[in-house]
Amino acid sequence: MSYFGGVDLGPSFEPFATFQEQFGFVPKLFLAQTRLPRVIEAESALISAILFTDKALARPQKECILLVLAAAEGNSYCFSLHYQMLKLLGVPEQRLDRIATDYRQGDLSPATSALLTLVSKLGTKEAVAEAAAQGLSNESILEAILVAGLSRFLCTLATGVGAAPDFAPRPIPAQQASFIQGVASAEPFLPAPDLGEDHPPFTFLRAQFGTVPKVFRAQTLMPDVLEAEAHAIRSILLPEDALSRTRKLDILRTGFDIETLRRHGFTDEQALETVVTTALSSFFFVLQVGLGGGSDFAAKMGAKKAYLSATDQRHMPITVSVDPDAECVARVQSGDLDAFEELMSRHHQRVFRTLVGTLGNPDEACDAMQDTFLKAFQHLASFEGRSKFSTWLVSIATNTGIQRLRERRPLESLDESDHDEEGFRPRQVQAWTEDPEQLYSQAEMRSLVENGVMKLPVKYRMVLMLRDIEQLPIEEAASALGLGIPATKARLLRGRLMLREALAPHFIPSGDRGSAKGVAN
Amino acid sequence: MAEIGNYLEGDVADEVRHQLEHHLSHCQTCTILVDSSRKTLKIVTDTGTFDLPEATFKPIAERIMARIRGDGK
Repeated sequence: MSYFGGVDLGPSFEPFATFQEQFGFVPKLFLAQTRLPRVIEAESALISAILFTDKALARPQKECILLVLAAAEGNSYCFSLHYQMLKLLGVPEQRLDRIATDYRQGDLSPATSALLTLVSKLGTKEAVAEAAAQGLSNESILEAILVAGLSRFLCTLATGVGAAPDFAPRPIPAQQASFIQGVASAEPFLPAPDLGEDHPPFTFLRAQFGTVPKVFRAQTLMPDVLEAEAHAIRSILLPEDALSRTRKLDILRTGFDIETLRRHGFTDEQALETVVTTALSSFFFVLQVGLGGGSDFAAKMGAKKAYLSATDQRHMPITVSVDPDAECVARVQSGDLDAFEELMSRHHQRVFRTLVGTLGNPDEACDAMQDTFLKAFQHLASFEGRSKFSTWLVSIATNTGIQRLRERRPLESLDESDHDEEGFRPRQVQAWTEDPEQLYSQAEMRSLVENGVMKLPVKYRMVLMLRDIEQLPIEEAASALGLGIPATKARLLRGRLMLREALAPHFIPSGDRGSAKGVAN
Repeated sequence: MAEIGNYLEGDVADEVRHQLEHHLSHCQTCTILVDSSRKTLKIVTDTGTFDLPEATFKPIAERIMARIRGDGK
């Protein structure tokens, strides 16, 4: 579970195949971003160039840097992820605990130890000089700084999307490592070969920013990383389907806090893009500080933790509950009655469908809709925004519908056990035609679905209406119905299977009909 | 059966998903069940059912607003 609902991108989505290959699974950090596949593609390219491709450093060395910096950030998600990765790479737990607590006690090679010293003192020329004196090549130093940037990027993403842990969270030991000692220096710390002004990422950057920012010129030892960074900018900063570029540049310049997002009524896609833009900004900020050479990106990200909220969010996820109705609700609460009309206009279809799902009768649903909105208005003063307004409103509609149903049919059970799901066996098991929606007109299809839905028992109809027709996230549907998530899922499955049974005769090719049989298991 | 529901939602652990997909690779009945359930879901999602016509909603909204404004006086 995360702050943003997921979308199934299918097994062929290439970044997930890459993560599967490299991590052995797809981390929930990325599953939480499926509303914007383009950003996952950009992230995958960046991570591949920095972490998955062996250059001067080996993967275990890079994972060690990520582990120590995740601990320094107090980021439980990333700490657990990299801990697990190092375990899979063969590092015993006892040693990992020592590394996380104090890498100098972790029996690390002098080179790995020097890398960790470097990234824990980023931002000073002395740190780079000390690393070079320990025998680290310029390429190794650059790669370590890139991994440090990647660490900040991943930690910011994990905090921002509220990623659920992939593994049982590990306690982060109290440790002394700090992260980013200095501020952006005008003096470059590493030599950077001249790639020529026509180098493709430079051409792209110049077209976008009017110049090639210094932080990119400082990385010419690794042209493939420059290409991945240009890709990230192209896929995260430039598209305007969620947020305008101007808005994103504002975020890059000033950062954001969650309360501001709430006040501005951001959609999930906009909030997600805000998180990813902030993560990208924090990545470049670390590079800027770590590599020296002058400032292109605002030093707003200099705080030790991911800059997502003014309060300390180390050990608990930030609350990114973005409610697009927040502003309108606030207006009603301050006495603007026209704003309530606006809320009704936005949500009457949802309320109507919820009531049809409960009452099974469109006319009665219309009647109950008036009750629902009047109750909502009466109680709006006490609405505190702990859930989305739409979820709260659907709860009122559901309760209004149930109350009417009980008055009408007191014997109909809405609360019976869901154990009967186990006994349900589909009977229609002939293959459907390849493209069933081509068989009927839209009006005929609507009629088929509506008839099928209306024949479902009320408890299945209610959940199917909220989840599949209104497309509420399962958590919101469960909340509106006052059910637990497992019970909601069980009812949803049963409702879907029953609807499938009802629709099947219309979509099985005619030659295959008439041989219905039960499914044995 | 419950795992098929989770599978349709894209909400199963990788290990379970692999097991299910392995099973689906040689079980025609379950393959049909999953395929037709997906199609059901797509039809329901795409069809745009139970729309309340604006002409029906308008007088309801007017009644509600009249009540609200009346109460507010």
